[in-house]
Amino acid sequence: MNVSLNWLSEYVDLAGKSVQELDDLLTFAGIEIEGIHSKGVSSDKIVVAQIMEAVQHPNADRLKVTQVDAGEGTLRQIVCGAQNYKVGDKVPCALPGAALPNGFTIGETKMRSVESKGMLCSGSEIGLTDKENGLLILEGDPAVGTPVKTLFASDVLLEVEVTPNRPDLLSHRGLAYELEALLEQEHRSVELPEIATVHGSEWIENDAPDACPFYSLTKVTGVTVKDSPDWLKERLVSIGLRPINNIVDITNFVLHEMGQPLHAFDAAQVGVKMHLRGAKANEKFSALNGSEYELKAGDLVISDDRGEVLALAGVMGGVTSGVTESTTTILLESAYFDPSKVRATSRALILTSDSSYRFERGVDPQNVMPAASRALQLILEIAGGSIEGDTAVVGNLPETTGIVELDVARLDQLMGGSISLSDAEGILQRLGLTNVGENQWQVPSRRADLQRHIDLVEEIARVHGLDRVPSRLRATFVAASDIDAATDLDMAMRRSLAAIGFYEAQTIKLISEKQMIDALPLRPLQNGDVVKVSHPLSEDHAILRPSLVPGLIATAERNVRQGVKSLRFFEMGRVFRHNGGGKARDIESEDLAILLSGPLAPDGWASHPAVASVHDAKAIVAALLPGREVQFVPKERAGFVLGCDVVVGDSTIGVVVRLLPSRERELDFAHPVWLLELDLGKLRKLLGRRQAVEELPQFPGSSRDAAMEVPATLPALQIDQAIRKAGESLLQSFECFDVFTDPTGQKLDESKKSIAYRFVYRAADRTLKTEEIDVAHKKVLDALVQTLGVTFR
Amino acid sequence: MKRRYYSMKDDILRVQNEALVAISAAEDARALDEARVASLGKKGALTALSMGMKDVPKEQKGEVGALLNAARTEITAALEQKQQALEEAADRAALAGIDPTLPARFLPTGGLHPLTLLRERAVGILRRMGFALADGPEIEDEFHCFDALNTPADHPARNVKDTFYFDSGKLLRTHTSSVQVRMMEKNVAPLRIIAPGTAYRRDEIDSTHLSAFHQLEGLYVDRDVSLPDLKGTLEAFLRELFGSQTEVRFRPHFFPFTEPSFEIDVKLEVKGQAPRWIEVAGCGMVDPAVFEAVCQSRKDRAFDPNEVTGFAFGMGLERLAMIQWGIRDIRLLIENDVRFLRQFA
Repeated sequence: MNVSLNWLSEYVDLAGKSVQELDDLLTFAGIEIEGIHSKGVSSDKIVVAQIMEAVQHPNADRLKVTQVDAGEGTLRQIVCGAQNYKVGDKVPCALPGAALPNGFTIGETKMRSVESKGMLCSGSEIGLTDKENGLLILEGDPAVGTPVKTLFASDVLLEVEVTPNRPDLLSHRGLAYELEALLEQEHRSVELPEIATVHGSEWIENDAPDACPFYSLTKVTGVTVKDSPDWLKERLVSIGLRPINNIVDITNFVLHEMGQPLHAFDAAQVGVKMHLRGAKANEKFSALNGSEYELKAGDLVISDDRGEVLALAGVMGGVTSGVTESTTTILLESAYFDPSKVRATSRALILTSDSSYRFERGVDPQNVMPAASRALQLILEIAGGSIEGDTAVVGNLPETTGIVELDVARLDQLMGGSISLSDAEGILQRLGLTNVGENQWQVPSRRADLQRHIDLVEEIARVHGLDRVPSRLRATFVAASDIDAATDLDMAMRRSLAAIGFYEAQTIKLISEKQMIDALPLRPLQNGDVVKVSHPLSEDHAILRPSLVPGLIATAERNVRQGVKSLRFFEMGRVFRHNGGGKARDIESEDLAILLSGPLAPDGWASHPAVASVHDAKAIVAALLPGREVQFVPKERAGFVLGCDVVVGDSTIGVVVRLLPSRERELDFAHPVWLLELDLGKLRKLLGRRQAVEELPQFPGSSRDAAMEVPATLPALQIDQAIRKAGESLLQSFECFDVFTDPTGQKLDESKKSIAYRFVYRAADRTLKTEEIDVAHKKVLDALVQTLGVTFR
Repeated sequence: MKRRYYSMKDDILRVQNEALVAISAAEDARALDEARVASLGKKGALTALSMGMKDVPKEQKGEVGALLNAARTEITAALEQKQQALEEAADRAALAGIDPTLPARFLPTGGLHPLTLLRERAVGILRRMGFALADGPEIEDEFHCFDALNTPADHPARNVKDTFYFDSGKLLRTHTSSVQVRMMEKNVAPLRIIAPGTAYRRDEIDSTHLSAFHQLEGLYVDRDVSLPDLKGTLEAFLRELFGSQTEVRFRPHFFPFTEPSFEIDVKLEVKGQAPRWIEVAGCGMVDPAVFEAVCQSRKDRAFDPNEVTGFAFGMGLERLAMIQWGIRDIRLLIENDVRFLRQFA
């Protein structure tokens, strides 16, 4: 809301208060000032000066060296580039130290080696709105040395942000009331003539008493519609409104003065009876703003016996019944409309106005008739004419406020004993509440937000200020929750991944339909499993991610465009899906995804590193789960290649895949892109499990190597499984240490590969004898022969 | 005999001299070893002379023996000295090939996302102050996101223009405050929780807005929780986060779910500017209407507003990160550009 400080000063004594003080005062009462705009000249150091002499600058064609009389007794030399003056003119002169609105502070300087002690100014340079080129020539022969600010009106425009619970502040008088309370000034009440009313059902038919509990119309005949007087125009312009004509300007003025929206109809354009009713479905309405609206059934409209919609109640008047230059008789409406009704209509039509803004927040019922009185007073004064008959009224003003009890003990508890009861009572009194005894407080009609004990406490806390409340710190032990434990494990995993060279990414959880091609959900999605928002902001953010991989691929893509060759990213976080074919249940779970692609290290003087392979991708899992036996079981995934389930014990904890090569080319990835999507919940379970310490071996182990010839296509996993199946208890561990193939077929048939393993045998209670090892080793090798038909080299 | 004696003495001196010359001339370990073998080896010249000791007359054994010992000592010393000299020369030669000013080799470095770092710091401080972590679903219902939080049915936030809804009528939570309600439904006072998490608003993404962002929510409910607790807790938290001398102020504000409500500013020096007040969080005393809604949902009076009070607070983690590190464009936090992430490694 825009507030003019000059206007505000009409209702509250702000003498001696700087704008900064007012800003602080309101800010700490919960009323935020979003902007402060000064109009007019603010600096005292800008004075009237007369140009006594102007000669050509010796070193610059476009500059003149002037001698000016700024009322200092001696002349002042100033270099000036303007052309529009003559010697003898009086102009604004900024003396050294003057701060200009553009933030520049004037000093003494040399311009092209000629001394210049100040600046002769244009209007815009000193904060006046005119945009003329050249110096501002001051009319009316003001005395030299006079501060220019005294020659022009100045004002400060405050942009006030009013919270939705405080509609009473949405006017100059409302804000003045608050300031009086904060400044501990006596409230200056306003006397307005009482309006004579008559029951108006003959004039007004109200079919919607819920939406419009109270409606009044006053007829004024013989008005002269013309431009408003200067003072009225100035008030409206000062808060950014455009003057239209005296009648419309008066209704706008009263809205911003008192907070009650009013509307004036041209009586000639209205039938014999006003009709308040719900709109018919798709009924058309041409609003004052020039737009046509299609109404919903039930939108409250002001119509007449002829059926046309004259106004959208509380939101905007119609184009046909508005007051124009030819209007001679007006009907002034002042009403109370139901806030939620106005809000619904305004929102549905995306049409807001100063009027709807106030009605939907709730106007003061006891202000409806005084506002009409104020407007009528101004109309008679400015537009002439006379009131015909009494004001017609239907319905009753609602009682929105009542008596609220202040629970003194709880006030004291909540405030930490920082305010005395009498101080608290003083605050409530200044805010317009009345003590009706026994801590019962009558709330004024303009403060419908005060309904409960706690609402009174808020007022007291707000005005008292939290800086006067003591600080207390009571930390107590709180047991770790499951989320605490999970968070700690997640952080440990994040640090492990960072330590092996991965960057953590965080991507937006809403992805596009197009990105779904990259999704790698742990359980494949069926039709209807995807969670889509109903009204996405854009195609790019339409689906709640079922997998972290699309975000990581987008991340990698972006980095590739920046020339990054080695791509190592991970992300942890929620993924979303419906349960089995779009049934109502939403499932939120947490995943860890990892992307690896490109050289494992940058090319350097010392090395030319390899490009990441599936084995490097698998190594990440080993790093995350040190000491756990992890198996990679091939399982194809649509849209990816070389897929493997990641299995620990009998639990599948995730998948590792390579992106489809065609997709890699499409996205300009130069190297294979390896992806892991792992179930974070399962990873936490594995890592969170406490493991007993294993005894260190007391006796040495012995190793035996064996190289076997197998079909080139035989997966190593089958060899592993065959070795395990042998069930040799002395076999401590085994690992593959060499794979040899010969594409030329010279050393080894090309359909074969030689794969070499090292087996370690050990017993916990003794050093093994050679014969024992021989027996054990033979058992393992026999098992390999039997299961896979391998031959040994 | 006498002659033999003299000749042996001469022989010893000769062998010694020859050995010393060979040692001195040796240019590498092999030549040095040859010199050692030639003099002190099993078939070496000095070893051969030592064999002759048995023929030396008794009265001369002492003198000859002394000569032999002296020769051995001297040769051994020369060998050691030469060996050391050769090793040192080899070391020097080896070191001469090393240019320590060549670039370092590569060890992989990665790093955590700044939002993670900031959240961990904030959460760490609050956990030390006795808050436990909590969480709730991001796909929420209107009850937990709005109704229970005293937000009227026609509140502007409850609008398809501002909030992501699903066809089911559910929505993406617009704040983490819904976790307050979920935790109160399942626990009893005293309750001290914090809930970092994602919230969603239907905002176009630009330099200051994201449609999905992160908040840190806090709630403390007990008998006799008061404004001094709210103030003391949040002052301590913000001073720990921004520095012990940080000025903190509470501005009255309005939120549907707290009363009284405040916004919190801290006075911070943004790089190259005078210190100014920057809004960092919202807070307030839990509105009794929230406790009533929780009681109704629980079907008991465990959070009877006549018995318990509480305070709640919430802050935007992106905003805190932007303040902390002078990040000007919020989109840097979702783009994951390595050049940006590297700065937090």
